[in-house]
Amino acid sequence: MTSLITLCQKELRDLSRNRSVRLLILFLAVVVVLTVLVAAADFRTKTADYNTYLAALQASGGAVTAPPPDLFPLQMLRAGMEYLEIVGSLFAVILGYGLIAKEKNNGTLQLLFTRPLGRHSFAAGKILAALIIWTAVTTALFAVITATLLIAGNAPLTGTDLIRLLIAAAHTTIYLTLWSLAALALAALTRAPATGLILALVLWLVVVLIIPQIGDTMDPDNQIPGGLFASLQIDKAHEHAVMANFTGYETARDLIEQTSLTKQYERPLFAWLGIKNQYNQQSPAFVWAGTFNHSLWLLAGFAAAITAALLAGTRDKLLRKA
Amino acid sequence: MNPWVATVGHELRSAGRERLPQLLLMIFIGMTAASAFIGSAAKATVTEVYNSAAGQGLTSAPNPFGNVPPLYYARNTVIYILLIGALLAIVLGVQSAMRDRRARTVDLVLTRRLSPASYLSAKMAGISLGLLAVLGTSALISAACISAVTGTIPAPDQLLRLTALFSVAWLFLLFFVALGMFSGIHASSYTSALLIPIVIWSVIIFVFPLLGTAVHPVSLLNPVTPPTAPQTGIFALTAALTGPLSLGEHFKHVAAILLQDPQATGTMTGGITVILAFLLAGIGSVVLTGRPSMRKEIHD
Amino acid sequence: MPESEGFGASSGFSYRQRHKLLSMTEMAIETSALAKTYGSKQALEALSLEVPSGEIFGLLGHNGAGKTTTVNILTTLLPASSGTARIAGHDVSTGADRVRRSIGYLPENVQFYDNLTLAENLTFFARLSGVPDPAARIETALAAVDFTGHGQELMSTFSKGMRQRAGIAQAILHEPKVLFLDEPTSGLDPQGVAKLREIIIGLNQSVGMTVFMNTHLLAEVTKTCTSIGILSSGRLIYQNSVAATLEAFPDQASLEDIYLHIESGTPS
Repeated sequence: MTSLITLCQKELRDLSRNRSVRLLILFLAVVVVLTVLVAAADFRTKTADYNTYLAALQASGGAVTAPPPDLFPLQMLRAGMEYLEIVGSLFAVILGYGLIAKEKNNGTLQLLFTRPLGRHSFAAGKILAALIIWTAVTTALFAVITATLLIAGNAPLTGTDLIRLLIAAAHTTIYLTLWSLAALALAALTRAPATGLILALVLWLVVVLIIPQIGDTMDPDNQIPGGLFASLQIDKAHEHAVMANFTGYETARDLIEQTSLTKQYERPLFAWLGIKNQYNQQSPAFVWAGTFNHSLWLLAGFAAAITAALLAGTRDKLLRKA
Repeated sequence: MNPWVATVGHELRSAGRERLPQLLLMIFIGMTAASAFIGSAAKATVTEVYNSAAGQGLTSAPNPFGNVPPLYYARNTVIYILLIGALLAIVLGVQSAMRDRRARTVDLVLTRRLSPASYLSAKMAGISLGLLAVLGTSALISAACISAVTGTIPAPDQLLRLTALFSVAWLFLLFFVALGMFSGIHASSYTSALLIPIVIWSVIIFVFPLLGTAVHPVSLLNPVTPPTAPQTGIFALTAALTGPLSLGEHFKHVAAILLQDPQATGTMTGGITVILAFLLAGIGSVVLTGRPSMRKEIHD
Repeated sequence: MPESEGFGASSGFSYRQRHKLLSMTEMAIETSALAKTYGSKQALEALSLEVPSGEIFGLLGHNGAGKTTTVNILTTLLPASSGTARIAGHDVSTGADRVRRSIGYLPENVQFYDNLTLAENLTFFARLSGVPDPAARIETALAAVDFTGHGQELMSTFSKGMRQRAGIAQAILHEPKVLFLDEPTSGLDPQGVAKLREIIIGLNQSVGMTVFMNTHLLAEVTKTCTSIGILSSGRLIYQNSVAATLEAFPDQASLEDIYLHIESGTPS
């Protein structure tokens, strides 16, 4: 236990002084804040357009028909969350790879493993460090996001909104740590850590980009700009009635999407933040009921990544020559 | 043999034997092939959805997919070029530069009768030829898959358009090769050499379009162009600033016109100009690297 | 014996501490029919070796002779394919943790953590070795390698020679009974080599620490080691004290000539 904590402390000190890690986290923060600012500006533009339209309509003596655009502050986080989902996970892969590559390339593995460490102390120290780092980074990012929403977005946030943000942050921490641990395990299992990075990047490409992209492009409503049903002037109720005849196709599409842990992260995230319309302004109990299975799959993936990292980060695996 | 030609051949041989590019290449070619079948499944479902809706009298609009051109089935390929192709190109560039630095063979090269500019341009040329072969293979696979899905061989005009798409893709990807190589020459470690161009890629593909049009990152991965409203307010300014830098969006626009996407409007001139400008800047920055930069040691 | 006698003064190791080390009559290292294979390649073949406590033992051999494999097995980094090895009385496979408490190790070309200071690096390794008061031990270890005052400097600013001294410091922090050094002089300039020799001999003489080193530098072996072993293609073909070796081959001008003579007599 003592050596685990010693290893974890060393890792945290080392990472906190690593210029690349600091720059990456700063970059993530800047981009996420930018996305919120862009969303706030977008909302203001839409409101201004609406007011112009309203004034023109009133000047010409017309009656008001369209409702003004609604402001749901948490929905402004969509782009930022998508960026964390895609690029945040990529940074997590690189951080996880670095945790092993550094020890292998510096020759410090030999120094560590000629000391009386427990079988899993090395891996456990790294896992704990990755979890702490991502918890700290996610907390900081969400604090910045909340401040941006309050100050720049001028958005009123309720207590429930803050709890939703907290739940979203917890999901994000698990998702990013999971990616770091997967990369850590792969870098530990391959003799040259660079090969582990290659495999982790390929895994990232498939899970984060390719599978969700396939699922997305198979969605009939995504085939026409603005949506198929909107272009056919079919309302939501009728859309559901029509799609009820295509459950087989939809189930297959859903299964493809669900094989990606990124989707298991995105679905509860978008539900809790109200980005997905069906969950917007719904009670936490409703959101939980609709998405807990995805949260559990995400947790299962996290548990699998921890296990993989623990099993891969042992003396015999890390030091093997042939 | 001329040293320049020898370097080109050496580069082709070395790149061909590395595992990461091979793995990415397999995914890229596999996804190019899958692209037509994904498009086919989506089109068949949309037609069935339309028929069902029309049968229930819910719509009188014409089937938006009633008469899609055969090249519709290649449009997912555009996204795979943007994602997998660009990453493959970055990795090729980084590995190419890092190979010399890791093995310290750069000193052996620089003490022979080849200037840094000739050497680096020969390396770029070698990778370009390799990439051309990859894209040529992908084009053939794409044409074969479209034939399999539609039941007919695409017309010569359509084959020409497909060839043009892969040619533009080649120019587009060469910028990322140059970016990877530039990073591979200058970065202090292998990790940062890979990371820096990937961050730049993410900014070009996701951040610039977001700043210009407030479009969400994931919707940029859908081959269907999001509706573009005239930019007003602050976006009129940001779109003007980031528009020319949104290389991925320019490539998608050019590709959409080439693939006869009914939603694509305008000309390809602007898009091709931006792609060429990026490429020239990329090649220029690589070729103009001096000896001291090429000889820098790496830390991991 | 007074506290300040001999190298003990500069090394900082106390008289009481010295008594914790092995007595001169015990074997610090014993191996019996030790072998290691990588696939079909026999890297080490039936190595039987005894190094008494208090020796500075130099293991010589050409590239690929099996020197690093031997050190890796003796330091518990690599399991042997067959045979046994005991360090300070503990078996490397059944008592690996006890072996790890008894040894210090400096691999070839170790880099450390560049973002941490020397003191932070040493504190980390001291804690992993279970040292209760790292600060005091670090001071002692740095004094032993004549490196006092550098604790707060970042490792990234260190030269190769400084890193080697830092490496020795990390290896002796927990007062090991046996110190393993893999090519310790590799890449050092002549001053660095001389300084390292002084440190190794000092540690051996002041606290009786057994030192086991792999090296290519035969001139250095003559000046540093008390006994040698020669490995050739995974087999131990010679073992004796340096003095006896030099006496046994009066017609050879140097240890280098003796080494080449012994090596050439071995069927390949």
